[in-house]
Amino acid sequence: MLEVSSLNKVYRSGAREVEALRDLTFTVDSGELVCLVGPSGCGKTTLLRCIAGLLEPSAGKVRLDGREVSGPPPGLAMVFQEYGRSLFPWMSVRDNVELPLKQRKIARHRRTTLVQDALDAVGLTGTESAYPWQLSGGMQQRVAIARAIAYEPSTLLMDEPFAAVDAQTRADLEDLVRALWQRLEVTVLFITHDIDEAVYLGQRVVMLSSSPTVVQDEITVDLPPARDQLHTRADPRFTELRTHVYEQIQAAKRGAGASS
Amino acid sequence: MRNRTGLLGLAGLAGLLVLVEALPRLGLVNDAYLPPTSRIAAALGDELITAEFWRAIGDTLTGWAIGLVIAVAAGVVVGIVVGSVPVLRAATASTIEFLRPIPSVALIPLAVLLYGTDLGSTLLLVVYAAFWQVLVQVLYGVADVDPIADETARSFRFGAWARVRHVLWPTALPYVFTGVRLAASVALVLAVTAELVIGAPGLGKSIAVAQTSGAVPLMYALIAVTGLLGVGINLAARIFERRSLAWHQSVRGEVPA
Repeated sequence: MLEVSSLNKVYRSGAREVEALRDLTFTVDSGELVCLVGPSGCGKTTLLRCIAGLLEPSAGKVRLDGREVSGPPPGLAMVFQEYGRSLFPWMSVRDNVELPLKQRKIARHRRTTLVQDALDAVGLTGTESAYPWQLSGGMQQRVAIARAIAYEPSTLLMDEPFAAVDAQTRADLEDLVRALWQRLEVTVLFITHDIDEAVYLGQRVVMLSSSPTVVQDEITVDLPPARDQLHTRADPRFTELRTHVYEQIQAAKRGAGASS
Repeated sequence: MRNRTGLLGLAGLAGLLVLVEALPRLGLVNDAYLPPTSRIAAALGDELITAEFWRAIGDTLTGWAIGLVIAVAAGVVVGIVVGSVPVLRAATASTIEFLRPIPSVALIPLAVLLYGTDLGSTLLLVVYAAFWQVLVQVLYGVADVDPIADETARSFRFGAWARVRHVLWPTALPYVFTGVRLAASVALVLAVTAELVIGAPGLGKSIAVAQTSGAVPLMYALIAVTGLLGVGINLAARIFERRSLAWHQSVRGEVPA
């Protein structure tokens, strides 16, 4: 379970102060898949780095599985948007997935199993000895996902993971994320700027305002759990939900325009 | 294409040899100062079978290698420490910029004072010259660490040492190789200089001895040998670099994605 309460982040450089996050409160229950959407430049990345313990918030708290986050918490794995920079080009696919497990001092035998299972799960069987840069963008992001799930996290943070891949690959990867989430019963917080993606993937969608960020709105996605690209996206309920999210995001942008 | 460049390079070299042969023979230069290629080659041939020659090469390479190893080790360690601590980087930047341009040869009097004509003198000059080459490259390398790669490592709870070992070091490695290659050439220059000027044993000293005893062809032959050593060192460094950096984009070439 992930709890974010009254989170605030102000960047200071000299006399200049920029309030990126004003007051954010939301929770993600264990085993839930929640999508965060917001207008571009709404401090999504700042929020994510605070949750991942990579950045210290100015005020407020992040609690993961009951423990306050101060530094990268155990049981959390992160998938970055920039897969090409997040994977280590000097290591094969296998070594990339295995390295975090080595750091956790997991026995060799168990590591081999975890790496193989993770690569099988993302559909990359047979690419173990390739280097990441020999693979397509979509496959590289699969490697990053395999690395995250091999780590056996309780919570998976995904920072606009599919923003840089083409539309067809993206649809495949969305289905992959839902399938993995259902199979592994992991908590997923998925950040995106794509409204359709948020509604298609999430059980809930949390909408953020423009910076300085607060929670604009929150909806439960009452679509059936078995989703597919063709039927779910054609469902009238899907259209209603995405319209609602779209309107809220537009309102968030206007709100920012009015206040500034 | 590669072969053609190679052939052209060899043709150029052959041209130089012919020119050196022709100039004194045609009387355009005094052959007491520039003997023709054939006589230099003959002197070299005679020298190759002497034990002193190989001892001199051994001495030069010993000074070069020990000095280079010390400089590289120190440059890498200092570079990583200074480069990864922003306060240290800021505090040392101006000092480094001040010390780096001091020519190593300006330290010859100091070296003589400290070590006389021992190996120590050569080492001091070699290490001083080579150290900065390595240090500056390592600093560039450390600054080149991708923040996303570093955040990835931190998010997976890598410790400080693991981040140096698995993120910083591989990132800096191409820079380290460049530094080592530059340092290797400079170290050879300084090793020969030290021998020549201070009289520490080695090829430089042999050149000085050949000159004072009027063995001009031999002097040229020894000079050519130092040149060949330099070429060999550079070549070896490049081959080693290409093998170790097969993953790097400067080596791996374009891959269809």
